[in-house]
Amino acid sequence: MSRKTLGAVVDGTFSGGLTVRLNPGTSTEQLRIGNFVVVEGQRNLYFSLISDIHLKATDPRLLADPPRHTSPFIARTLAGTTTYATVEVNPMLMLVKPDDSLLAERAGVEPVRTIPMHFAKLREATELDFATVFGKEGGANFAMGTPLAMDIPICLKLDRFVERSNGIFGQSGTGKSFLARLILSGVIKTKVAVNLIFDMHDEYSFDKQTEDGHFVKGLRQIFGASKVLIYSLDEKMGRREGRNVDVTLKIGLNQIEEADIVLLSEELNLRQTAEATIGLLRDEFRDKWLLELLEMTADDLNGFCQRSGAHPASMASLQRNLKRLRRQEYVVHKATFDTLDDMVGALDRGKNVILQFGRHNSVLDYVLVSNLVTRRVRHKYEEKTRRFEETREVAEEPRPLMITIEEAHKFLNPAVARQTTFGTIAREMRKYNVTLLVIDQRPSSIDAEVMSQLGTRVSGKLTEERDIDSVLTGVGNRSALRSALASLDTRQQVLIMGHAVPMPIMMRTREYDESFYTAMGSQAAAARDRQMDIRDLFGDG
Amino acid sequence: MRIGEIIETMSTGFVAESFELNRPPALGSLVVAHVPANALPVPTAMELYAVVTYGRTVGLDPSRRAVRRSTDNVFDQEIYQEHPELQRTLRTEFGASLVGFITDGLIRQHLPSQPPPLHFSVQTASVEGVRRFTDRLQYLRLLLPAQATSGHGAGGSQVSLLQVLAANVRQVYEQRGKDRAWLDTAAREIATLLKSDHEALLTVLYAIEPVDSHAPSDAGEAA
Amino acid sequence: MPLKLGPISEQVDDLAKTWVDLSLTQKDLLEQAQDCLRTVDREALRFKLQQHMRQQMRFPWLLAMPSYSSPALPTKGLSGSFPAPSLPSDFCVVGTDASCIAPDRHVSVRYYVLNVGYALLTYGSQPDAVLEASSHFCFRDEDLYVFPEELEVPIEGALLGARMEVESLRVLLEVVPDTSKPAVALRDGPLTLWTLQNESDEVQHAVLRDFLDAMAFLRQAGVPLAGYISYTGSRDVANSLRMWLCPGQPGECARCETDNHDLCLALAKIRDRDLFAFLPKGQRSELFGSSSQILERYAEHRVDFFYLNIGQEIVRVEVPRWVASNPDLLALVHAVLCDQCRRSPGFPPYPPALLEAHEQAVVTSSERRLVDEMVEQALGRHGQPIIRSGKDDSKRRRAL
Repeated sequence: MSRKTLGAVVDGTFSGGLTVRLNPGTSTEQLRIGNFVVVEGQRNLYFSLISDIHLKATDPRLLADPPRHTSPFIARTLAGTTTYATVEVNPMLMLVKPDDSLLAERAGVEPVRTIPMHFAKLREATELDFATVFGKEGGANFAMGTPLAMDIPICLKLDRFVERSNGIFGQSGTGKSFLARLILSGVIKTKVAVNLIFDMHDEYSFDKQTEDGHFVKGLRQIFGASKVLIYSLDEKMGRREGRNVDVTLKIGLNQIEEADIVLLSEELNLRQTAEATIGLLRDEFRDKWLLELLEMTADDLNGFCQRSGAHPASMASLQRNLKRLRRQEYVVHKATFDTLDDMVGALDRGKNVILQFGRHNSVLDYVLVSNLVTRRVRHKYEEKTRRFEETREVAEEPRPLMITIEEAHKFLNPAVARQTTFGTIAREMRKYNVTLLVIDQRPSSIDAEVMSQLGTRVSGKLTEERDIDSVLTGVGNRSALRSALASLDTRQQVLIMGHAVPMPIMMRTREYDESFYTAMGSQAAAARDRQMDIRDLFGDG
Repeated sequence: MRIGEIIETMSTGFVAESFELNRPPALGSLVVAHVPANALPVPTAMELYAVVTYGRTVGLDPSRRAVRRSTDNVFDQEIYQEHPELQRTLRTEFGASLVGFITDGLIRQHLPSQPPPLHFSVQTASVEGVRRFTDRLQYLRLLLPAQATSGHGAGGSQVSLLQVLAANVRQVYEQRGKDRAWLDTAAREIATLLKSDHEALLTVLYAIEPVDSHAPSDAGEAA
Repeated sequence: MPLKLGPISEQVDDLAKTWVDLSLTQKDLLEQAQDCLRTVDREALRFKLQQHMRQQMRFPWLLAMPSYSSPALPTKGLSGSFPAPSLPSDFCVVGTDASCIAPDRHVSVRYYVLNVGYALLTYGSQPDAVLEASSHFCFRDEDLYVFPEELEVPIEGALLGARMEVESLRVLLEVVPDTSKPAVALRDGPLTLWTLQNESDEVQHAVLRDFLDAMAFLRQAGVPLAGYISYTGSRDVANSLRMWLCPGQPGECARCETDNHDLCLALAKIRDRDLFAFLPKGQRSELFGSSSQILERYAEHRVDFFYLNIGQEIVRVEVPRWVASNPDLLALVHAVLCDQCRRSPGFPPYPPALLEAHEQAVVTSSERRLVDEMVEQALGRHGQPIIRSGKDDSKRRRAL
């Protein structure tokens, strides 16, 4: 246990944080912005983050005219004495010091209510400190990674994680999909919720080749077919070997609603008048408006325009753009909701569902299908929840569901946040036991109100001021975290803050590799799958 | 070994006449005045430690001034043989600032309550004594300009107290067998004491840096 | 208090001007005088001088009596010069000097302090130096009177001066080491106590007794004694040359018609140190006898003298006859004096032994005051306060 003292508190305010003067032996280069450190007051321990580092000199004239010829002896002497460094430290949590410091378990941590006096010592956090704050691995405590320079697991409380909608952010290339894989695996393993994952780039189901060239396993391979169902929009995908798709999904034009169309305004190149025009169509045709529109001939169009007062050019344009929908391979004229309802049933039975898009992974496809499917799923969930509230039967209680969407700003930007199902889900919190896991590289494009509803935010490196501001919406101690976010490595370093962690923490994420797969129980799952295959081949009995 | 006798004494230090002409104790070295218990109005014997702040050789009679005596054939040490009266008309004196004392086996590094008595002997501090005394560095404060006694140099000019401080560190370093750990600690202590005057600090550091550390590094690369 | 420096500085200026004028004419006459010294007939001069001294009991001028002819001396003239002999490798020099705190006439109690300083310097393989002072607090009758039983003849003024001379010689009795090393005793000033000239026979005898005893001791110990007179103002030899030139009676210069009139008048002002300026550095003149009256009491210690160029100065050295007639002792004195001056850092040089003796002898004014205070306090303790004269008291207080 390293208990090396780094420095002593020399200044500070409750609202602004503490200033610690580093001891002569401690170099600024030993510390990082965002490091988890502990200030030992007389009565309390203050679990804190480093938010800034300053260089100073006891005699300002030294800085105006630094010595030109210094031997190592002189340089060493000056370091930490006439030239010294201070760090700004923000306490996040407080713990009353127990009398017996050998107790493995301590009393609970509390929010910070005071600050320590002058010369309180600053030290690195130890294993015990991490365990005290973040808990030990096990149960719903899922190890997400380790501190940057230590080998201690930092745990995410997944039970609390799924109590709210959450976000995974970071510039492109920061490994958001890896983070998602870790979290999803954790949720699947700990069974705190079931997952519905809209897998735009086919990343989560099966093996995927990474940037470095090696392959990582998909959730299907880790957890087996009994736990993970693969739905696909792309028929052809289902026929590839070793990559069994369980269900192929078709979308009927009858299932597409106005809200879906409006969401796709940009993709479909709709005019501003589209919404109004659709409104007129709905007035006349009710639910069949789309089908009707798409079948209309030129005359029909004219006739309609005359009847309703719609603008012919708008109508024509609308029809033209919406015909694109029909051309999609997975779109059929009419479809039932059976497939989707079955999916909800599977979710209810504890199966996780990944919807692959295959070749149909344009933004149009993704947005349309995800929104549509989610609307149905939420609707079913709403029903189940109401039923449960009436009956109070345990068996009726719907399983918590976490829906994962990527390119979240498409669904949740301020313009459309009110209209998408996702926006609704985000705002409702967990009203109907459904939460979101949004993944995005431009958090500033996400509606601020939605952002403030995200309980836990997992962020990789961000450099745009707007993005940083956005991710920190509604979070306390912003200044401390701001610098931390900008200082992360592009790979494998994240800052986690929010509902699922007692205090914001910077960490190096866990490796997504063989040991991880094994830890998730992939071997057992593989065995099970082989059994199932054999049965399939040879039939039961 | 007795090296001199106290001819002026005050609370902050003393002036002593050297027994050997032209050989005052080294600048910055530690000297000791041993005071037995009955010599002062204090209960126990004390060893007063002081740091030599200057040395000078002048005429016994302050109104007489030395003149050039060398010739082509007679110079340097031979002058003293050529003019034996010089041994009797010159004297070498040195000044020392009190930096602490040892009494009852305890080391105290502040001014003693009584100055050493006039005419008492002064000795060079033993190697063991230096080691013990300098294990603690608070005595360095007593050598700082604000506190030390003003030393008289030749011609009335004072020896810079920063130079005395540096000389002391060099002397102790050698006497402790080139104890690098001690030197580093002393350097840091001085850096703390002179924190508000970096030019003074550098003056001292340049004067105490060990000769082997002379690879000049960029000022930017610290520790 | 206020010395009027303005008028004084004008007069100082005048002095400088007249001195410059004088020296030009004197240079020519000095050369003539030196020529005279070179050509004078030794034996003839001796004869003439003896004649005149026999005629007049108290001759007005001090005369230098040339030595008898001898092979060592030049046949013609008195301008012989003799180089410094070699020094022994190890030898001692002891210099003595005395000073005093004079008795204070304005005080009810009479006392004075004599301070005799000496410097014994050893040169050679074991160089050494002993610098000491011997102080005497003199208050007893034998200190205060030449004749203590009768309380006659108070020792003050010139007599006190003589006493100092005596004491400075007496200290050598303790100081002169009985070593095998050759030694020379030096004192600053003449060996001739001419200040006693006007005292009565009894006083002269009483004062000189200890002085001559000390000289005898030194003779016994084989330690030559010399008196060193720096910047001598003597004109003995010059006077002898005037005698040589004088055709008639010396002193009747107003009626003198001799050709050498100018030279004779010039010789009246020429000093021996200028006359003997021709001496090369380190060399001495021949010995001369002094005609000082007091020397008649000196017996075998009768004082002779010579002039010596010690480099930048001609000094007069007085030695007792037993040194003058002993070639070894004379050579030692000559060699040691030159060596002493060689070791001196001053310009012109001065024997270190005498310098240090003087430093030891000197009494500072603060030391004077200290002694006065000591006496006052001691008397006060015993109930006898000092009574000062009105003049003394007013000088001390200087009241406004």
